[in-house]
Amino acid sequence: MALVHKLLNSTCILRKCPRPSVTSCPFLGTRFAAYCSSSLQKPVAASGKASSQRKPEGNLQGHHQKEDALDITSPEDKPEVNFDKAIKEEINDHFRYLKGEIVNYWLGPEGRPLHEVLLEQAKVVWQFRGKEDLDKWTVTSDKTIGGRSEVFLKMGKNNQSALLYGTLSSEAPQDGESGRSGYCAMISKIPRGPFERKKSYDWSQFNTLYLRVRGDGRPWMIPFSKFFFSNQGRIRDAQYQLLLDKISSIGFTLADKVDGPFFLEIDFIGVFTDPTHTEEFAYENSPELNPRLFK
Amino acid sequence: MNPLILGIILLTIMAGTLIVMISSHWLFIWIGFEMNMLATIPILMKNFSPRSIEASTKYFLIQATASMLLMLGVIINLLYSGQWTTTKMFNQTSSIIITTALTMKLGLAPFHFWVPEVTQGIPLMSGLILLTWQKLAPLSVLYQIAPSINLNMLLTMSLLSIMVGGWGGLNQTQLRKIMAYSSIGHMGWMTAIMVYNPTMAMLYLLMYLTMTLTMFMLFMINSTTTLLSLSHTWNKTPIITMLVLTVMMSMGGLPPLSGFMPKWMIIQELTKNDNIILPTLMAMMALLNLYFYMRLAYSTALTMFPSSNNMKMKWQFEDTKRMTSLPIMIVLSTMILPLTPMLSVLY
Repeated sequence: MALVHKLLNSTCILRKCPRPSVTSCPFLGTRFAAYCSSSLQKPVAASGKASSQRKPEGNLQGHHQKEDALDITSPEDKPEVNFDKAIKEEINDHFRYLKGEIVNYWLGPEGRPLHEVLLEQAKVVWQFRGKEDLDKWTVTSDKTIGGRSEVFLKMGKNNQSALLYGTLSSEAPQDGESGRSGYCAMISKIPRGPFERKKSYDWSQFNTLYLRVRGDGRPWMIPFSKFFFSNQGRIRDAQYQLLLDKISSIGFTLADKVDGPFFLEIDFIGVFTDPTHTEEFAYENSPELNPRLFK
Repeated sequence: MNPLILGIILLTIMAGTLIVMISSHWLFIWIGFEMNMLATIPILMKNFSPRSIEASTKYFLIQATASMLLMLGVIINLLYSGQWTTTKMFNQTSSIIITTALTMKLGLAPFHFWVPEVTQGIPLMSGLILLTWQKLAPLSVLYQIAPSINLNMLLTMSLLSIMVGGWGGLNQTQLRKIMAYSSIGHMGWMTAIMVYNPTMAMLYLLMYLTMTLTMFMLFMINSTTTLLSLSHTWNKTPIITMLVLTVMMSMGGLPPLSGFMPKWMIIQELTKNDNIILPTLMAMMALLNLYFYMRLAYSTALTMFPSSNNMKMKWQFEDTKRMTSLPIMIVLSTMILPLTPMLSVLY
């Protein structure tokens, strides 16, 4: 059931990916593999076992890497597809994951003892050391609404960092309804538990976002108190503190209307407790913008 | 909030609960529940933030559904008996539906999912009202219909609640969620004994109210809502650290503190009624509760948690929060066990 659901999801996302004909590829194969945006430069996994690409688990890792090497499959050596077996494996994997989660729950928050979690002051959440780390991020641009920006994400030299690069173009698409355009974004995937249950990060002990990026090679610390609410590019009138114990994803969006190429190299992203930073929330609501709060 | 409005709202909450407690007509009980719920919503939304709004919406939905179910049960009862008095339920179906409705209001498993999230989203004072005052009305109705409740259903729910309360509280670092899970567990203990000896349930309720009130007051002194800030209280007010430890152990049911007394009485009553496996399981699940309290106490009270230097040298300001009844509540929450023989006056 889970697999069918994933298939249905993936077919919706594919709008511009080339669709192979039904005769050459089995039902499951290629559609399921090319779930990402067409501007992503990862090789499309060839037809084969219906393996999940979202969680490269132990026994599936081998399939993933093997498929990366094959760009085109010839009809003669089509690997056999066993739908039932794949579903059973998937379900067993999920149950194993569930058991692991229950055992981790006994040990403590996130599987580590409580005092260790409480004492933690800095934590690396995303590190870019291999191709599987890139899997945790999705890159999008205004290509989805018909614009001209392009964005790519790939591993840097020696697998030490990730490179986010592309071209920004604020030329509006000619579809009669959008007046502005020009954004590129890199968004982390929502963490999933067993059976694709949505989970969230609990960052309530930390107060700063710590990024090591090369624009200028310096570590950037963005305090969580400076985050504000916005919606579709507009800053909202009513501002509230960011809720740190239910973070599902974080993203970087470039939308500064400066056309041209851009480049960002990211080493790691983590969270940090800055003891000198005592501000809780940097903004306040004003009676003009939000009279409802001040009645 | 405007003090006059706040006064009227609090008065409505109290009036709603009192109407539920003193009525013998089912319609008035329903009216009391509705008054209570509608007046509680602004109390939950005092700090206007997306989380509070989400919490109060969830609370409203659950309580409204439970009130509807209560009305359904009352009308089925009316259909079979032709009268509205609350002496006993005349029909098994209506008894089951009303029990379901009341357990939804209390937050017993399997209807407990709203309790941690609602408690987490609201300020400490509102959380206190939610976890103490709001339990009075449903428990009073359960007390009244106790002889005709379906025993299997209620005992299953209470055992599930004790398990959920123990297991769910294991990894929480937010204090309000810990209190919510402990409330679920304690409700389980109360409803387990409700059919056999409702007076014991009232005794447990009294002890639970005392202990929960004390815990919340201790949290409100330093406005701590996370475990991390509780771990730093040894720097600011070391006596609060010690008191949190003691009251927490009492909530876990550790003798010789007074939290042990109601649990002991309940186990005794259950075994008197030839029910051996259930209290064994209940006592074992209570150990889970105690385990996570112990783990919490280790980081906060038993060890001096590392803190930065600016926390160690604080200006010693005068306390502005007046907690006049705190010493009395602490004594009641921890030292009542030797008075157990006095319980014979209840009979």
